[in-house]
Amino acid sequence: MTRVGIDALTYYLPASAPTLAELEQRGALRGPASTLAGFGFDRARVAESESHVDMAMRAVRALLDETNTSSDEIDLLLYAGALTSSSTMECAPAPAGAVLQMRDLMDFFKYPVSQLQSELDLANASVAGIDQQGCAAIFSGVRLARATLLAEPDVRTVLCVSADRLPHGTPREVVYNLVSDGACAMLVRRGAARNRIVAMHQVTKGAFWDAGSLENEIIAAYFPTARTVIEDTLRKAGVTLNDIRWVIPHNVSLRSWEILLGLIGCPREKLFSANIARVGHTIAADNFINLRDATDAGLLHPGDLLLLFTFGYGLNWSCMVLEH
Amino acid sequence: MTTSPGPAQRTILVTGGTGTLGRELVARFARSRDASVVVLARGSAHRRPAVLPHGVRVLVSDVRHGSMLGLSETDRAMLRDSVTDIVHCAADTTFNRPLADARATNVTGTEAVLAFAKDCPRLQRLACFSTVYVAGRATGCFTEQDVGGADGFVNSYEQSKAEMEAVVRDAMGELPIAIYRLSTIIGDARSGEVSGFNAIHHALRLLYQGLAPMVPGRESGLVDLIPVDFAADASRYLIEREFIAGATYHLCAGAAKSATLGALLDATMAAFERYRPAWRKRSIARPAIVELETYELFVRSVEEAGNQVLLQATRAVQAFAYQLAYPKVFDARRADGVLAPAGISAPNVLDYYDRIVRWCIETNWGTPA
Repeated sequence: MTRVGIDALTYYLPASAPTLAELEQRGALRGPASTLAGFGFDRARVAESESHVDMAMRAVRALLDETNTSSDEIDLLLYAGALTSSSTMECAPAPAGAVLQMRDLMDFFKYPVSQLQSELDLANASVAGIDQQGCAAIFSGVRLARATLLAEPDVRTVLCVSADRLPHGTPREVVYNLVSDGACAMLVRRGAARNRIVAMHQVTKGAFWDAGSLENEIIAAYFPTARTVIEDTLRKAGVTLNDIRWVIPHNVSLRSWEILLGLIGCPREKLFSANIARVGHTIAADNFINLRDATDAGLLHPGDLLLLFTFGYGLNWSCMVLEH
Repeated sequence: MTTSPGPAQRTILVTGGTGTLGRELVARFARSRDASVVVLARGSAHRRPAVLPHGVRVLVSDVRHGSMLGLSETDRAMLRDSVTDIVHCAADTTFNRPLADARATNVTGTEAVLAFAKDCPRLQRLACFSTVYVAGRATGCFTEQDVGGADGFVNSYEQSKAEMEAVVRDAMGELPIAIYRLSTIIGDARSGEVSGFNAIHHALRLLYQGLAPMVPGRESGLVDLIPVDFAADASRYLIEREFIAGATYHLCAGAAKSATLGALLDATMAAFERYRPAWRKRSIARPAIVELETYELFVRSVEEAGNQVLLQATRAVQAFAYQLAYPKVFDARRADGVLAPAGISAPNVLDYYDRIVRWCIETNWGTPA
């Protein structure tokens, strides 16, 4: 079987890291800071001046530098964004008095993925944007990368990038989770030295598309479907939870992970949870930020099986098993 | 001691005669030619409960009002002199009532009925209804001889009923009393009609609305449910034909006729899809069956988050669902030994459950859509 895996990955987080108390003071939380603290959060990462495209470029540049990868080696660039605003450029307002608003119309055709390709000089890369799956977008990026690598022999290296930044002034609390800005980038290749993709699985429940009016139903739907998706992914991978060395989470609340671990019967010790407090939930990059940090911390060993699970609005539940 | 009804006119006094079981029993007793039926019911003296058959006398009463039972001197004296059978169904069956309130009806109210019964010179039978869930947190096999409560209780209803049984047993030396422990009644097996929506129906509604993410218990844990028609047929037979003072009977489905929690959830989801095809589009997942510890963590999180909708939903499920975390089987050997030769037995729950769910959906759980 052809081995496709995540050969290398990096991430970018903004320097600004206000605490819950500071965020509460700024009016950036919906409820009391103490509730979020009780659920395992401590601080968020907030992009003060960087745009989502800036963060994506910084993550990619670091990745290419670290791995001595030439920009010409990239055959396909997949750019994933969770927020609808991440799939567009930041638009300038139309000139005052403009009759046809042509400047606005053309703004709809300005794409971050094209700008990334240009700025990073990825001359050989074709591009595609992936969105409308909330925080599960980057998982779909990896899924498409693997499928392309398996289907098209000419494609050898796929660069998957994800970046999201909440618009200024938006509350940083979503369904009892603390939201951060950030980006991640990874190289997906055939014959990858590590992080072989053993299995992937995604479930979409479009009935919940109107997230704003279905918050309680979404919370209720999250847990049982998460369990089903995780169990189905393990089945696809031909392994059991006992075989999994680490669960690499999306950084939703630690409390919700404790409940989910209880649902799937997984010991708490298998959860790499260090980043939930110090990073918060970076929307679309969590699992890969955590994968990188767990690797750097020396926690992962060759052959370890890792379970990555995430959930995105839409609603989308996504899971993958990697062999480190 | 076995007593049989004499040829003389009997007067059957039914407390709680307008409740789920009470009304079914009254309908059956009212068909007896040799018996007149008097129902004690709360409410207005000027409004006769519509559910009761003609010929049944209704007296406004409240067992919480001491041995006078809230009756006038005249009515009480009339009853005292005529009553041959007391069928005590009146109960507060709300699971999460404060214990003092549950005791007021279930313990103190029963003490009042017992005090009244001691004044009745013609009394031959006093049938006292309880619940198999006096077993409380006990697990394993719970028999008709077991008293229950040693492991504590899941809710105030169970505790107050166990305390009621203790009061009743103390009075058995003076009065001809038998105890009938009922399993959870979910509706009429033949029509699916639900006359009294209880905690399990509320839980079904939450499931329908997609607000029940998990229930505590085990996939293979048995859930004992009975239809009201079986409960009424069985208890009437035991009271009228085979009354044994001092006996305790379990009127339940037992292991053979119960369904597992997993099978019930599957049947519920299938019924939702069958009777409301549009419900499928809502993509509501089957609730996860979880350990009690995980369930309690979820409940605590909802409380800490202060989410009022989910808080109400979890509390509604909590009221009965905690019992699912203490798997048990009810042994009904004594009741079955009497009922089986008479051709009375609980139906398999999965044979009629679908009709109950359908009734809930089509009546919007008893409220206008």
